[in-house]
Amino acid sequence: MERELALLIPEIIILFTVVFALIAEMLRLPRIALVVTIVGLLLATWQSVLLLGLDTTVFGGTFRIDMLSVWAKIILLPATLLSLLLVRAEIAGSDREGTVYVLVTLVTLASILLAGVGDSMLLVLGVLLSGLASFALVAYPRNDSATEAAMKFFVFGSVTTSVMIFGLSYWFGATGSTLLSELGQLEASPAIAVIGFIAVIIGLGYKASLVPFHFWAPDAYEGAPLSIAAYLSVVPKIGAILAFAQVVRDMPMSTGWPLIIAVVAVLTMTYGYLAALAQKNVVRLLAYSSVAQAGYFLLGVVAVGTSSLALQSLIIFSAAYAAMNLGAFAVVMRVGRTLDSFKGIGRKSHVIGVAMVIFLLSLVGIPPLAGFVGKFLLFGAAIDAGFLWLTVVAILNSVLSLAVYLRIMVPMYQAQSHCHEPDTDANTTAVAPALIKLVWVIALLFTIGIGLAAQLLLRQLG
Amino acid sequence: MSFIAIAILAPLAASLLILLARRMPVLLALLGITLSLVASLTLLFTVSSGGNSELLLPGLPNMPLRLIATPLTVLLSTMVAIVGSFVLVYAVGYMKSDSEKVRFFATMLLFIAAMQTLVLAGDWILLLSAWELIGLSSYLLIGFWYQKPGVKFAATRAFMVTRSADLGLYIAVFILIASTGSSEIAVTLNTTGSPAIAAGLLLLIAAMGKSAQTPLHDWLQRAMAGPTPVSALLHSATLVAAGAILLIRTAPMLTPETLLVIGIVGGVTTVVTGLIALGESDLKRMLAASTSSQYGLMLIAVGAGVPMAALLHLIAHAAIKSSLFLGAGVFQHSRESTMLEQLRGVGRERPKIFIGFALAALALAGIPPLSGFFSKDAIIAASLNSENIEILLPFALAGTLLTGGYMARALSILWRKNQDQKNNQNKPLTGLVWMGAGLTGLVTLAIILAAAFPAIKTLLNFPLVENISTEFLPEILGLVAALSGLFLGWFVPVRRLLGFLLPWANNGFALAGGFDNLMVRPAMAIAHGCEKLERIFYQGVLTIGRAGLKLGRVARRTDEQSIDGAIFSFVQGTVNLATKARTLQSGLIHKELAISTVATAMILVISLIALMVY
Repeated sequence: MERELALLIPEIIILFTVVFALIAEMLRLPRIALVVTIVGLLLATWQSVLLLGLDTTVFGGTFRIDMLSVWAKIILLPATLLSLLLVRAEIAGSDREGTVYVLVTLVTLASILLAGVGDSMLLVLGVLLSGLASFALVAYPRNDSATEAAMKFFVFGSVTTSVMIFGLSYWFGATGSTLLSELGQLEASPAIAVIGFIAVIIGLGYKASLVPFHFWAPDAYEGAPLSIAAYLSVVPKIGAILAFAQVVRDMPMSTGWPLIIAVVAVLTMTYGYLAALAQKNVVRLLAYSSVAQAGYFLLGVVAVGTSSLALQSLIIFSAAYAAMNLGAFAVVMRVGRTLDSFKGIGRKSHVIGVAMVIFLLSLVGIPPLAGFVGKFLLFGAAIDAGFLWLTVVAILNSVLSLAVYLRIMVPMYQAQSHCHEPDTDANTTAVAPALIKLVWVIALLFTIGIGLAAQLLLRQLG
Repeated sequence: MSFIAIAILAPLAASLLILLARRMPVLLALLGITLSLVASLTLLFTVSSGGNSELLLPGLPNMPLRLIATPLTVLLSTMVAIVGSFVLVYAVGYMKSDSEKVRFFATMLLFIAAMQTLVLAGDWILLLSAWELIGLSSYLLIGFWYQKPGVKFAATRAFMVTRSADLGLYIAVFILIASTGSSEIAVTLNTTGSPAIAAGLLLLIAAMGKSAQTPLHDWLQRAMAGPTPVSALLHSATLVAAGAILLIRTAPMLTPETLLVIGIVGGVTTVVTGLIALGESDLKRMLAASTSSQYGLMLIAVGAGVPMAALLHLIAHAAIKSSLFLGAGVFQHSRESTMLEQLRGVGRERPKIFIGFALAALALAGIPPLSGFFSKDAIIAASLNSENIEILLPFALAGTLLTGGYMARALSILWRKNQDQKNNQNKPLTGLVWMGAGLTGLVTLAIILAAAFPAIKTLLNFPLVENISTEFLPEILGLVAALSGLFLGWFVPVRRLLGFLLPWANNGFALAGGFDNLMVRPAMAIAHGCEKLERIFYQGVLTIGRAGLKLGRVARRTDEQSIDGAIFSFVQGTVNLATKARTLQSGLIHKELAISTVATAMILVISLIALMVY
């Protein structure tokens, strides 16, 4: 028992952080709540770094402490921290401010649980915890569009989660155990394995916004505060994808699961970028782009078990994706939600222009930025696993993605047709520029740094 | 922190600081280059006592970027730093009255950092990056006075010509990495067979672009539109040297066939551009043509299989040609022109500068005991001992003869006064001290460099010439050619020397109207043709699309009027009811969930069928 608690220290710290932050909020001290969460996140990150190199399980295989889950903590906890800074910049001083910090931290807890999931019941718990807290976050602004988005999010979540639980019951029936490590027994009954697996795709695909379970994402991102959208597009998504990797690790190959995931990956990438191409609103565009990026993650999941690169590529792309997506959202917070508000911004303030171009180029996957390294490794993993055609489709989609992101980049350097009015959007007026700048500068450093230091990171990952 | 990194990072940091601080550009620039020079000299010292070193940087998986300090790379790095520092000292005076010092010095230092990276690079990917960077900074510096007419065009021209030749380098690097599986230059030199031939020829194309070899020599003369320190540093000593350096470094890989092609390209260049220089009426453009010609001589040496001789001449030429340019810059400031007619007799008014210029000119012509004599002698010896002596030797001697000719012609024009030009008064010059200091340093170097040649030879441990059966023959041949060139150039008017060739040479030996007719017009014609073709395709696709749309409309109309009509009125009633009940829901969620469900069902069915089939 003591050993298991010691291994769970990061999670326990986060849990206590949530409790203390909630108490602070009850005392109407939102600033204290923020400080508590930040300190808690930093502490937990430090404790996670100490766990590096372990490969074990706790509570009888329910929760895994391995390379994937530890690195997930090291990536997701700081990403949460950056998101919290964005949240603070957007909603400082408003009503119920502290609850947002609490809910965000709770979603993070669910995400890091998902990343180390070793039991199907923990999987359900993680998806539910993450989902319930997310609905509340989306509904925060209390206006029609936010409430509608939250509603949609909720209905989708309820349906998909119940389908997942239904499918998991098949697995339980066939193996007699809720442990994922027992999934090898499904070798004998492939039909049940496939039914259960598709149920898991539905449940986790909803969290990771894979096509065709992504419909909630654009509405939720548009309705929610921008900082929350940035957060939702990074932390819960990475958590769900890594949970995928944990589930498929023990799936018998005879069920042909990699092919199913490959099909979903193709659908997700292609549909995401095609839909993004038609958007006029930058937030919706980034929402569809983050849908498409989830498809790239799946290239790594496909290769789990067959390629030694798979886990490394997932970890590095997670870090890269977190940095570049948070950075892009931070710039959108600063500039505005429509494509029109980006017009001429690159000529007016060079630094923001250059930063946004770097984030977008990294999302496309241009060397030497982080996105390139991540995608490069993902492609390598997929080819290693024998999915050459999938890699070709992914590369073609990268070409398509350039067109998507150029739709933001080109107006940035066009001459302004009229004098740029201060943005009238209610969500950008309360913004504190200094905090936002801090976030995108950090994100920029990581976007470039991960790209340049990929070799060091890889050596670290063994 | 290793000295390799300092040699590169010091100028780079200085460049960034100048850009950010926007003040004290001179001080920062001199500080940056001094640090780089000290680092290079330290490296030279450690390397000469046998301490090769290597610096690995993270790069692509299994292909780390590497910087190496071997005798060859460090020697080149020292050359870049020394010439760079003298030219920068000179530039302090030259740019004294220019208002854009910040941009100038920042770009110069960026170039020096890139050039140091290029010479110290130990793998192809880093070399490619540096190669691109020097191209970029060359473009920025040629176009420095972009307000002047024609300058923008010259910069773009230089960039486009070298850029298109760079394609050769890209393909060559691709071939080398693909055939050896490593990006390390030293490893890829083990390539043999047809990949080695293909890569060698492609590398030659890249070198021809950067080193301005015929038929790609034209950009270098146009590049003279930039400030003179730029011409002295980039377009004589360093940037154009990149091509020759590339061939010298890859020499162990080059096959006899490739070597012959290299020798012929160098030979043709040295004669063609030598003739252009002889007929040129602008001092800086003459020096530029001469640069191409000298690099042609170096290619002859590479082609003869003695890259060491090329390297010696490269180093000697760097010092000599930079001195010539610096001298030309002073003359230019004195008369506000670079046309030789305008500069007639300027040497008498600035005797000290003229002495420096003349010493460098004699060194370039190959008069003992100046450094050019020894390096040229090595090239002639190399061609004497080559298998292709009957091709290479005439070219090498013709090149030497022409060098003497055009340098003597320039000297005679600069020295001899014309009677009707007495009123051509010199402007008082500002910053002459700085310019004089830079020039003196380089000329001294050009004179005494020969003393360092034996040390360089032992340092590099390159066999200079395999059999020395022809003692004194190369010296005598070279001296005779150089002296007769000088004699002809000084005493015989150029009209008589070139005869009917003169107008053609002045036109850059343009065949059939030059590049415009040979390349630009056909390319444009092809482009127009493609555009027309594309328009036809587009029209075709458009017609198909329109037909499809029309068909769609017809289908919709029948749909709406017959089948839909009945359903629609029924649905409308329901919707009207629902609208009243609905407050927040957009209603779309049903549709979306339905899509999700159908898609899931499809995936499920397909997977189960696939499972049964296998």
